[in-house]
Amino acid sequence: MPEAPRTGELAPELSLPDLQGRATSIRDLRGRPVLVTFLRHAG
Amino acid sequence: MKVRDRWDRWEEIGAAAVFVVFDDPDLIRRTMLTDLDVGALPFDVLVDRSRGTYTRWGLTRASWSTIWLDPNVYKTYARLLRSGARLRSAGTDVLQLGGDFVLGPDGRVVLSRPQQRDDRPPVGELLRAARGSVEGGG
Repeated sequence: MPEAPRTGELAPELSLPDLQGRATSIRDLRGRPVLVTFLRHAG
Repeated sequence: MKVRDRWDRWEEIGAAAVFVVFDDPDLIRRTMLTDLDVGALPFDVLVDRSRGTYTRWGLTRASWSTIWLDPNVYKTYARLLRSGARLRSAGTDVLQLGGDFVLGPDGRVVLSRPQQRDDRPPVGELLRAARGSVEGGG
């Protein structure tokens, strides 16, 4: 089981479809600060 | 206070936001995004049905007792009910934990908060980390 990325490390790749099925990668957001939030269940 | 309620503060520093979910997209639209136009959101909502990305980012599942014996869970429910919110049915896995990460413009992590239970850092703390990464040249 990988560990969560730590402060100072390069973030792991994150490339997933959005709600409309379009592929999106955080690489495309380089040059800006990015908040990445993994949510728990939808309930 | 949610990130989307202070979106203007994120825009001020030119930040982007990505929210990752693992439930079925139809469930997400019916529960989390009921009052929003999905096509007009200022941030991305990405779907990880297999939870492979959750795993790669080190996000685990809690034990049953970690979630349901945590008094904060009941305080949260009580606060929601007092505010008039309706309790909804849960998604597919109530034990999956999430997390918050702020990346600097160079893609390095400037704040890392994988959840240990049903907890999240305050929005102000996330904003300060994002702002610091810009001011510090991160």
